[in-house]
Amino acid sequence: MKADTSQFPELDKTKFEQRGTEFKLGIPVTNAVTVGNSIVVGFGDGTVRIFTSGKSSEPIKAHKGIVLCMSKDGDNILTGGDDGRFLKISLDGKISEIGNFGTRWVDHVTANNGSLVCSSGNIVYLWSPNHKEPKLFEHNSTIGGIAFDAKGRRLAVSRYGGVTLWKKDYSNKWNSSELNWKGSHNKVIFSPDGKYLVTSMQENQLHFWRLKDKIDSAMSGYGAKIKSFAFVDDSKYLATSGAKEAVCWPFDGDGPVGREPICLPYVGNKLVTFVEPFPNENAILTGLSDGSVFLSEIEKASNTIIIRSFTEFEVSAIAVTKDCSHLLIGDMGGNILWTSIWDEEKK
Amino acid sequence: MEETNKQVPVTVLTGFLGAGKTTLLNRILTEQHGKKYAVIVNEFGEQGIDNDLVVDADEEVFEMNNGCICCTVRGDLIRILSGLMKRADKLDAIIVETTGLADPAPVAQTFFVDQDVADRTKLDAIVTVADAVHLSTQLTDHHEAEEQIAFADVVLLNKIDLVDESGLEVVKERIKKINPFAKIINTTKCGVSLNEILNLDAFSLKRVLDVEPDFLTSDHDHEHDDDVTSLSFVSDTPLDMEKFQDWFSKLLQTKGQDILRTKGILDFTGESDRYVFQGVHMLMDASPMGKWPEGKERSSRLVFIGRNLESMNLKEGFENCKSA
Repeated sequence: MKADTSQFPELDKTKFEQRGTEFKLGIPVTNAVTVGNSIVVGFGDGTVRIFTSGKSSEPIKAHKGIVLCMSKDGDNILTGGDDGRFLKISLDGKISEIGNFGTRWVDHVTANNGSLVCSSGNIVYLWSPNHKEPKLFEHNSTIGGIAFDAKGRRLAVSRYGGVTLWKKDYSNKWNSSELNWKGSHNKVIFSPDGKYLVTSMQENQLHFWRLKDKIDSAMSGYGAKIKSFAFVDDSKYLATSGAKEAVCWPFDGDGPVGREPICLPYVGNKLVTFVEPFPNENAILTGLSDGSVFLSEIEKASNTIIIRSFTEFEVSAIAVTKDCSHLLIGDMGGNILWTSIWDEEKK
Repeated sequence: MEETNKQVPVTVLTGFLGAGKTTLLNRILTEQHGKKYAVIVNEFGEQGIDNDLVVDADEEVFEMNNGCICCTVRGDLIRILSGLMKRADKLDAIIVETTGLADPAPVAQTFFVDQDVADRTKLDAIVTVADAVHLSTQLTDHHEAEEQIAFADVVLLNKIDLVDESGLEVVKERIKKINPFAKIINTTKCGVSLNEILNLDAFSLKRVLDVEPDFLTSDHDHEHDDDVTSLSFVSDTPLDMEKFQDWFSKLLQTKGQDILRTKGILDFTGESDRYVFQGVHMLMDASPMGKWPEGKERSSRLVFIGRNLESMNLKEGFENCKSA
């Protein structure tokens, strides 16, 4: 996607660009995940790089082709690739292979309390701590996304026609129930309070279920597929990409039914491609299709600042370190901005 | 920057069971072509040589939840094509193998419906491998075989060494009756230059301008009602745009399931541009395509491939669109 840059002549660098380090790697950034005060980035050439303040970031060859998906597992990172491998990588760069599926891609990975999970095709594989062989959960179609709830007792698996919700009972047996809604469901997440389950769909809309009474509804009106969405400020808002504004649905109280979302507009009128909650704040980092990134307070849109100006490539990853000292932005053109968030003097 | 804007061409390889698709795939994978191809296969289980990338997938046909009954897409393709576009190195082409019993429509429709797929890749052509010995029987017995011929831009008529000349002519006539604009290439063991099946740009609107179907005489004897046939119309009288749009959109809405493919060049009253369109079932791609060439007669041409075309009063509908 190429941006029209003619309307932004000679834009000055933002203070974050001046202060931080820019990398022009030319390799699409596929993922970025926070592990403590480091951020691990996955690339379209199968490498990962670990960014830690004060340290250099060398490429680590993990997969043959593309790092398709990443997730945090304690102090480690899990990756899945188009080489069919499911890997665990430590912050010192040590790689161990958990599973290998040959010519079948590992599309999704996640972890909770030492349980490692990946999906390949229509099967979810779960390695419990200290188990060599995975447990298999089969589904009726290729899996669009997987997510644990905060406690790790429920595993949501999105698929064609809805979500399969696996629940672990107190004898550690997994039982499934189905949440059906016509169409193909992709990424799935739980709200941090565990009350809601949200999926993005092949159609330009999201779907959610309130888990206590299985009430469900669509959130539509988007101009593009929603590739990025996340809960902000515990579970108060769901911030979403897929429109020219960051659309934030209210999930406090009785949820979004019958309520209007807050829409945060940005200059340039470009599509929002990535949203990342700013930790512990009612604020989001928003990445656009032209590479620019903004930080906005949801309930006070006037408090929006620009973090990165345009690069011409859509933003595909944003992550903030756990101590909120640094953030990282990556795009499909392989440009990375790694910067401290606060002025050195203010520290 | 140019590079990122380039859409990677996707060739769809169809063909009934035993026609020789695997032979062709093996050729693509083993030939020293010096290009970087990704081949999306079903249970192929072999690694490519010469730098090719083999991706295993299961065909998954998804209905779009948009109220359109025949709008189906290939979910697995959306997932894999979107993934491949994140690769650091650019692919020269992507080849998608379909199973022997597959209907090519969902594959083609994927490129109309999914914006990410349409932005970064383009449907290049549908290549159908057909068995010269068994095609006639397969066409009679299986809807899928008919659809694969109907959707083809190129038919590789394979195993021609196993039929005599008159037998070959019969098969070719049968193919042309279903699909008058497919290019037929005679082969044994799928021996064809890859240039003839890859990078054809057959789905671009520009190529619709080349459509010169064989206008067959209407010998519709001994046909079953649900046989796939084609009908073509020509008019030297300019068409009324409003009337045409009215007729054509209603036609696709109500009969889109039976209409497999359409192509057309249209001459509208008062318009200096040629209008070109092509469609798959209810989905269409249409655009003005520059001025009519100087000194050449302006005329409208329209081709339908589908089932039960006779019952749709197409001729009458088309005649009614002519400007009074």
